[in-house]
Amino acid sequence: MDDTTPVARSAISPAPPEIVVACWAVSGRRSTGALTLTDASPLAKVAVRADPDGELAQALGVRFGRTSRRTDALDSVGTDVLVVGSGPGEWLALGAPGRQLALTEQLRGLLERRGRVSGAASAELVTVVDLTHGRALMRLTGPAAAELLGRECAVDLTDAACPDGSALRTAVAGLATDVIRDDWDGTSSYLLHCERSSGQYLFDSLLDAGTELGVDVDGFTTPSARDERRTMYDF
Amino acid sequence: MAMRLERQPDEVVDRDVTLTFTWNGRTYPAYAGDTIASALAACGVRIFSRSFKYHRPRGLLTASYLDPGCMVQVGDEPNVRGAHRLVEPGMRVRSQDTWPSLAVDVKAANQLVGRFLPAGFYYKTFMGPRRLWPAYERVLERFAHGGEIPDLSSYQRQDHRYDQRHVHPDVLVAGGGPAGMAAAVAAAAAGATVLLVEEEHALGGHLRWGGDDVRSALRELRGRVETAPGIEVLTDSVVLGRYDDNWVSVVQRGLPTVNERLVKARAKSLVVAPGLVERPYVFAGNDVPGVMLSTAVRRLVDLYAVKPGHRAVVLSANPDGDAATEALRRVGVDVAHVEDARRGGDIVRVHGRDRVRAVELGDGRRVDCDLVVTATGWTAPVSLLTMAGAVPAYDARAARFRADPAQLPDNVLATGGVVGDGSLDELVAHGEATGRVAARRAAAVGRRWRAASPTAHKQAGPLVEVADDAPPALPVDPHPELFRARTHGIVDFSEDVSSADLVTAVAEGYESAELAKRYTTATMGPVQGKLETVNVIAIIAEATRRTIEETGTTTWRPPYAPVTLGALAGPEREPVRRSPLQSWHDAHAATPLVAGAWIRPDHYGDPAGEVRAVREGVGLIDVTPIGKLDLHGPDVPRLLNLVYLNRWSKLAVGRVRYGVMCAEDGVVLDDGVTARLGESSYLMTTTSSGAATVWEWLERWLQTEHPDWRVHITPVTTAYASINVAGPRSRELVRRVVADVDLDPDAFPYMHVRTGTVAGVADCVLWRIGFTGELSYELHVPAGHGLHVWEALLAAGGDLGARAFGVEAQRILRLEKGHLIVGQDTDGLSRAGSAGLEGLVKLDKEDFAGRPELAWQDQQRDYPRLVGLRTTDPTVVPVEGSQVVADDGGIGGRVTSSRMSPTLDRSVVLAQLDASLAHAGSEVTIAMVDGTRVTAVVTAGLAQVDPEGERLHG
Repeated sequence: MDDTTPVARSAISPAPPEIVVACWAVSGRRSTGALTLTDASPLAKVAVRADPDGELAQALGVRFGRTSRRTDALDSVGTDVLVVGSGPGEWLALGAPGRQLALTEQLRGLLERRGRVSGAASAELVTVVDLTHGRALMRLTGPAAAELLGRECAVDLTDAACPDGSALRTAVAGLATDVIRDDWDGTSSYLLHCERSSGQYLFDSLLDAGTELGVDVDGFTTPSARDERRTMYDF
Repeated sequence: MAMRLERQPDEVVDRDVTLTFTWNGRTYPAYAGDTIASALAACGVRIFSRSFKYHRPRGLLTASYLDPGCMVQVGDEPNVRGAHRLVEPGMRVRSQDTWPSLAVDVKAANQLVGRFLPAGFYYKTFMGPRRLWPAYERVLERFAHGGEIPDLSSYQRQDHRYDQRHVHPDVLVAGGGPAGMAAAVAAAAAGATVLLVEEEHALGGHLRWGGDDVRSALRELRGRVETAPGIEVLTDSVVLGRYDDNWVSVVQRGLPTVNERLVKARAKSLVVAPGLVERPYVFAGNDVPGVMLSTAVRRLVDLYAVKPGHRAVVLSANPDGDAATEALRRVGVDVAHVEDARRGGDIVRVHGRDRVRAVELGDGRRVDCDLVVTATGWTAPVSLLTMAGAVPAYDARAARFRADPAQLPDNVLATGGVVGDGSLDELVAHGEATGRVAARRAAAVGRRWRAASPTAHKQAGPLVEVADDAPPALPVDPHPELFRARTHGIVDFSEDVSSADLVTAVAEGYESAELAKRYTTATMGPVQGKLETVNVIAIIAEATRRTIEETGTTTWRPPYAPVTLGALAGPEREPVRRSPLQSWHDAHAATPLVAGAWIRPDHYGDPAGEVRAVREGVGLIDVTPIGKLDLHGPDVPRLLNLVYLNRWSKLAVGRVRYGVMCAEDGVVLDDGVTARLGESSYLMTTTSSGAATVWEWLERWLQTEHPDWRVHITPVTTAYASINVAGPRSRELVRRVVADVDLDPDAFPYMHVRTGTVAGVADCVLWRIGFTGELSYELHVPAGHGLHVWEALLAAGGDLGARAFGVEAQRILRLEKGHLIVGQDTDGLSRAGSAGLEGLVKLDKEDFAGRPELAWQDQQRDYPRLVGLRTTDPTVVPVEGSQVVADDGGIGGRVTSSRMSPTLDRSVVLAQLDASLAHAGSEVTIAMVDGTRVTAVVTAGLAQVDPEGERLHG
């Protein structure tokens, strides 16, 4: 990505002040609230389809309904990738902003690389589609995150039923949404992934539903500003 | 506060916080914690409402949520339970349906004609004649009881908010009395998450007014609830219903941010602990202000420090009546007489109209007093248990209906007064045992559910069902059967139904409790039978000379308590879809068009001008909602051949083809173009409204009929902002922003696709297709860059006259060109031939969806056709949907699309016509909506502009 790359815009209007991070116009707002909602749409979002019991499923090592954070060969520069088992034979890989092309290539070549090691070429049909621009992604963080989601989502999100590392597709505010439990340093946190066109609607609905719980918009931040230990944005 | 007592040990009012509010326009003081009724009663107010039918003055009966005499209007909120709603500063409270005032209500004249208003009066009187119904309605409206909504708009603003919440507790305890609290604590101690729901403003049930004996026990129980991990307490909340698999609805009131909330709980175990409801006694004058239940006395004295009266007579049949007597004496009320019902004592009549002046005892003695207290028995609120399958049976020894816990499913348990009586220790022990069982059963359910859930991290142990011990039985105390004195009085205080009405109903043949209930409306008012059901059944039994057991009870159904429609509806949530360019449309005064969930720009103020811009120069339209599906795999051509009418086996990379899909019945389902982007990579487009349908359609074929086909489908509609650049100068404009694609017509001809960089944005897809009939390029841009590209195009095309055009202009343009819209120019019966698509149907293909039906249609030849029409008067634009009249005067077809064409300066029309009318040159008659008729001629083709396609292919 060079300096001439146009700035991309999320489906969600950035709360002021607007800043540019990794060529995305994002909110620079900083919240100290206990319950925050962040537009995380700049993250790379890559959809993968393959045999649910096939070689790629083995290589990804993530089953339907669960997630796994990986730093191995999925990304050539070694940043975190969150692999989500979003459906039977369906995965979503979330990576650092701007890494979608690299991530797409790595995922497409995964079986080929394994084949080179094992000496057996794979005939499995694997589809990898970059959906970075096609989906909205937001992160809801805080001890009351599940309670807020419970205002708009009928699914059992208690720790017993939906522990850290869970992934499910359900309706949130009447909208088809992937709900991904991805706690942040022991604090409950959920990634919500939906069609881009309804991203603003979902964001607004959560803010409206969370008024009583004090939900606050927190901007998209760089790792240095947020957490040195993390190697990518909002992960 | 003339009737306010000295500080009481258990009072819930905060004397440090004094508020003021108005009642019927007059200002009254209150303490924080007062209900509307307690604050008014403390000031000596004794009448709070007028009754439903006879407009008799009504005072406090239960001093609780159930009190039928305290329905009031608070601001613009009608039907507020005045004996439950807490006073807020500045609250404006007034009586309902009284005129000119609560004290002097002219409708009280109904009492004078009461003998002519028997049971079923409305049914008998307003049956006919039918022509008088409007007059009847006006009369009935005038007499309809209840509050009013003076300002409807306030409900449409944000003043009234309602929401919903989903919870998944292991154990839900309905009722926060001693047994309910004990059950909650025990369940939590066993590791369960617990939702404890209590109707009152605080936990404790009857312990709250239990005095010195139970005060420490209450404090301890509340403390245990507070400190136990995993218990969430909802006060001022009521369980409305229990449904299959323990789906339990709860209404939560008194919240700071919303008027009411519907809590939808999926409880693994439900513990029903509602306690008991004290039952009124039926006798003449039992609704005169000053007649109240013993629990009302306890509430007023102990909780609100209000003196209920000055001189009292008590009818007591149980220890609670005795305790009320003691409480009255303690606070200085002159207890003139205690009539012990256990020894045959009775009260038969109250004297007084707007307040109690004297009472007549069973032996004929008359005692002057201003307060009559009855303690004649209890009703077990078995609603939730009956909703779970239990059938309550009458227990004559206890004088109440009871439910057998053995009839309940495993996930429903009961404890407390609804099960039996007993000492406080026995109730608590029963609650604890029930809570433990509930927790164990919930844990077993949880293990089963988690075993079936893909989200579970790891199983929480083996799936071993743990045996549980049933809770111990509670004793049931004997109680005299007391329902009605020898006089008649009010049975249903909400509906103004008397015991005489019930006897009349039985005499008229309504001997079944269910029929008598509906005929008299007894138990059908706001209290919903909680106070009166047992009395109603007893009186019907008496009138029919049957036993109460034989008479049986009416059926308890949800909701247990009233709930607003607002809470049931919840917040307004209707998903909306917006294009990445929406902010630009908004900023440029686009008139929005709601198309399904999408918000689209209909036009920017001048649709005709927008059409001319496209025909003469270049225009841009946001077509992002067009459905887009990424198809990948070696068997994509087989899938396309199956779902489309035409052939797809030989589509070359870089080529685009138009296709139409039909359902199995041959009816047109959708249309669009599909491009081959790579060896096994295709991009399909669909209509905007058909995107989801087509995706499901393709997946259905793949998953149910051809799971062996190697095809993956990924919906990518919103991955791209789609911009159609149309007009004779579109190539010139696109060339200015695209560097790496050769736009020369020979290099990039019509119906081809390329990928390239647009305005600096890589990975764009460029299509040469044209819905408008003009040379055009459809640019699919990574959505996050859509606005940038749109603005870059407009900036680059300034000297070319580039301007945005909306959906209306697009519709005109395509109509001029004769391009059909599926769903507008076709309907649910239009097979391919009826949409002018015969040429696309390749019946010599191996197979495809709809083939048998289309083959049959092909043989018939007499199906309706889509044709173009040219009206004789060029200025006439028949409204879409106008009928075309056949020669015999019948319907020969209909207009499907029509507009005035800015290009041709005349109307352009598409129509579905019967085959006999559909040949070129045929003159047809169109019936206009104003009743006139116009003539039109069928055109040779559908296209009115550029029928040869020279502009499109340019």
